[in-house]
Amino acid sequence: MISDGVEDEDKWLASGIAGLQQNAFYMHRALDSNNLRDALKYSAQMLSELRTSRLSPHKYYELYMRAFDELRKLEMFFKEETRRGCSIIDLYELVQHAGNILPRLYLLCTVGSVYIKSKEAPAKDVLKDLVEMCRGIQHPIRGLFLRSYLSQVSRDKLPDIGSEYEGDADTVMDAVEFVLQNFTEMNKLWVRMHHQGPAREKERREKERSELRDLVGKNLHVLSQIEGVDLDMYRETVLPRVLEQVVNCKDELAQYYLMDCIIQVFPDEYHLQTLEILLAACPQLQPFVDIKTVLSRLMERLSNYAASSTEVSNGMLYSWLQSSNRGTDDDFMLQVLPEFLQVEAFAKLNNYIGKVIEAQVDMPIAGAVTLYSSLLTFTLNVHPDRLDYVDQILGACVKKLSGKGKLDDSRATKQIVSLLSAPLEKYNDIETALKLSNYPRVMEHLDNGTNKVMAGVIIQSIMKNRTSISTSDKVEALFELITGLIKDSDENLHDEIDEEDFHEEQNSVSRLIQMLYNDDPEEMLKNSDIAAEPFVSCFNDADHTLSAACQIICTVRKHILTGGPKRLPFTVPPLIFNALKLVRRLQSQEENTAGEEVATTPKKIFQILNQTIEALSTVPAPELALRLYLECAEAANDCDLEPVAYEFFTQAYILYEEEVSDSRAQVTAIHLIIGTLQRMHVFGVENRDTLTHKATGYSAKLLKKPDQCRAVYACAHLFWVDDSDSIKDGERDCYDLFVRFTVARSSIVPSEKIRCLVGFSLIWDCYDLFVRFTVARVLLCLKRALRIANAAQQMANATRGSSGSVSLFIEILNKYLYFFEKGNSEISVSTIEGLIELITTDLQSDNTTSDPAADAFFASTLRYIQFQKQKGGAMGEKYEPLKVRLAG
Amino acid sequence: MASSRRRMLLKVIILGDSGVGKTSLMNQYVNRKFSNQYKATIGADFLTKEVQFEDRLFTLQIWDTAGQERFQSLGVAFYRGADCCVLVYDVNVMKSFENLNHWREEFLIQASPSDPENFPFIVLGNKIDVDGGNSRVVSEKKARAWCASKGNIPYFETSAKEGFNVEAAFQCIASNALKNEPEEEIYLPDTIDVAAGRQQRSTGCC
Repeated sequence: MISDGVEDEDKWLASGIAGLQQNAFYMHRALDSNNLRDALKYSAQMLSELRTSRLSPHKYYELYMRAFDELRKLEMFFKEETRRGCSIIDLYELVQHAGNILPRLYLLCTVGSVYIKSKEAPAKDVLKDLVEMCRGIQHPIRGLFLRSYLSQVSRDKLPDIGSEYEGDADTVMDAVEFVLQNFTEMNKLWVRMHHQGPAREKERREKERSELRDLVGKNLHVLSQIEGVDLDMYRETVLPRVLEQVVNCKDELAQYYLMDCIIQVFPDEYHLQTLEILLAACPQLQPFVDIKTVLSRLMERLSNYAASSTEVSNGMLYSWLQSSNRGTDDDFMLQVLPEFLQVEAFAKLNNYIGKVIEAQVDMPIAGAVTLYSSLLTFTLNVHPDRLDYVDQILGACVKKLSGKGKLDDSRATKQIVSLLSAPLEKYNDIETALKLSNYPRVMEHLDNGTNKVMAGVIIQSIMKNRTSISTSDKVEALFELITGLIKDSDENLHDEIDEEDFHEEQNSVSRLIQMLYNDDPEEMLKNSDIAAEPFVSCFNDADHTLSAACQIICTVRKHILTGGPKRLPFTVPPLIFNALKLVRRLQSQEENTAGEEVATTPKKIFQILNQTIEALSTVPAPELALRLYLECAEAANDCDLEPVAYEFFTQAYILYEEEVSDSRAQVTAIHLIIGTLQRMHVFGVENRDTLTHKATGYSAKLLKKPDQCRAVYACAHLFWVDDSDSIKDGERDCYDLFVRFTVARSSIVPSEKIRCLVGFSLIWDCYDLFVRFTVARVLLCLKRALRIANAAQQMANATRGSSGSVSLFIEILNKYLYFFEKGNSEISVSTIEGLIELITTDLQSDNTTSDPAADAFFASTLRYIQFQKQKGGAMGEKYEPLKVRLAG
Repeated sequence: MASSRRRMLLKVIILGDSGVGKTSLMNQYVNRKFSNQYKATIGADFLTKEVQFEDRLFTLQIWDTAGQERFQSLGVAFYRGADCCVLVYDVNVMKSFENLNHWREEFLIQASPSDPENFPFIVLGNKIDVDGGNSRVVSEKKARAWCASKGNIPYFETSAKEGFNVEAAFQCIASNALKNEPEEEIYLPDTIDVAAGRQQRSTGCC
């Protein structure tokens, strides 16, 4: 009849609504004039619109809702009628005269609702009658909506406990029976839809079925709201009956949806107590039902329940303190955790999950892992103390994954990451994870990228919780776990790695290396604080920790050396600094335990470090290595290990000479060398002489004159010893010098040997000589710097006619002033005055472009001199002879 | 006359995220009962309650809805003809407050009231009893500011568990629902039979 054959649903709906409105209009008119006969006639005609088969569930629902609203008015009218004296029983009979069955049943349900309210018959009987009568509609959509109408109008009239419709005995059972029966019938209609109609429309039909699902599920919601459904009734009647329906319908959609509904609408404590019944149904479901989602949601609920009940218990204490008003629910909550144990929730879940995975052969890996992941979350929340449960779950997972190699399924991978992250988050402590024997075995199944991500998560966890990893075994285990970050995997050496990502991940590794055994010194301090009595045992403990710390260093070293040239620059420095921290602790301990045998000596550690830094030559990273050598040298200095310190300096010098070729890098390096050397006090005269001499030599050979100049005047500090501690060194140096001179000379002229040795008594003269000697060398450096500055100035004049070198002079002037103040007798007032004169002239000369920075620098230097003069005292006296003409 | 009969029934829709206590509020108000157990709602469900207002008796039809989207498979045709919409959030869950806007807009789109600017909403901040108020994350000030910005929506802080402010909130709901002008679809019966006309046209095409 319709030429194009295309169903225009909107058109059908519009015409349905139009028909409905028209009849509703006449119905209203009849209601207003209290005309029962017409009211029934037009309402039946109105309801006939619901007989359509052309609408999809969504559209049908729209039409249904309009009819529903109209029926509320009719219901009120019926109520008024009964008040006016019309017998409700008569009405109940009367509406059954409607010609078509669907309108008839809607009207019957409407009157039935008023009937129950009138209490002229027991609710149970009316409900039973209605639910039976509805069998008359076997068309799925029409039947489902009709029964849903019945369910809605009867919703507040069930003979529940405490309800006004509660009868004499056991009427709750009647209410439950009624809802269960309606549910069963609705489920049958719903499942039958699957098998009706042509196969080609299957997809559309399944979509429609899916839309209709809530009509069926709502019955379960109604059941859960019935107060009389206590745990016993739920366990004995409701759950078995519902599950029977679910299992027997053998329909995937229905099984999945209804299981989900059961889990969501009934309370947690019911699930806990009936876990076995519920779980036993799972392996019986159809093979393609998505049980993992269902079970995951169940476990999620239960673990939230366990988690929240502990919160409630805590919060309860608070509210209990505030008021004595405690509810029964709260009392229940306190008993929750023992309840989990009592029902052996873990064992049951674990058992049935195994069964489900076994039963569903086609379940994808991701599904199985999701299940284990949910079980793990559950376990962590409910049994945080049962590490064996956790390992058991991981073990089951390993078993499932075995033979699968690395996973390439991104969903499965994601699930494994969340599986592995859960224990870290829960325990806030990597050591716990390190105890899980199956943990690394699960990790092996991650692809390289994800493995790195997971390793990152592990490191993050350590950082966040400042976990102390205190034994080398644990470090070993940890590095095995994060091996993806430590070295290249064998397979994809040529993988493109994002530079930034790589830096990010290596930085996290280096942070980790810094963290290792960070807490130990505090442990040590704690021990020694306990003080006197167990004195000896304390230090034995400390020894133990330290050698453990040394082992950690060796373990870390072993691992990072496998990292290849790209990683070493990130991993070597933190290891070195960490080891130096250890050395300092050893040192302080040695001072305390003077004389006792210590297993780990700083010397050994330095040896290891020397070799470790050497590994950087493969990178190569000479500047970094040079810095590290110098750091080590300084640490060796603090340990009074002269040969070691000298060796480190030698290494640094070799690098400087052979590897550092960039001129800027040279400048930086030379200043580092000078700075470090200046702080060294361990060297005897000979060694220091050699090193200082070389440093000065390097300085003078820098590429640019200004750089040379600055390095050379910095070298002046190397010849100057000014603190009182160093005087002692001076004495010793003096003695060294003396002996050296003596021996050297005597080798040439044997006869003089005796004379010189006699001169030994003149040691103080010799010391004096030595002091004068060093003083002279300071001046020598400064003069040399001046010469270079001069040369720089001439060069600059020759080329550009401008001068930046005047600032060099000012800098040198400041050095002069420094040593002048320190009491270097070789620096005379006239030298300083001369220098000031020179600078003044230079600044005022015509061929210099003005340099505001230099002007300011000079002015403030002069102001400083003035200030020192006015200070009075020893300093003022010293400056007194200095004549300065203030510029301006 | 017809409208007078209709005006005896006031339709109220309760919306809000899963677990904020929509069902509990309704149960507390209608049945004076409360349970700590969480039970999800499936589809839409209503309870009725008679209310006395200005010497007249009204029936409040309170629609409780599923907060979880997967339990709302048939859509929201039941929004139609609502006289008031109650938006509920949990003062202890920020997300549930942030979602109020979504629920409000969703309602306005789906129910499409004729005068959306003035459609009566009411906001309830529920569960103020939890942990003695210590776990609260949405302040009353913040909630009131949001309500003010949406056209001065009345705001109540409630505890369905302790029955605090529930009665007052529903009184306000009822009075605002009553103020809402009914959207009577004025239906004038056509002298032409619609169904017949349609059939004629379609046969004409053949």
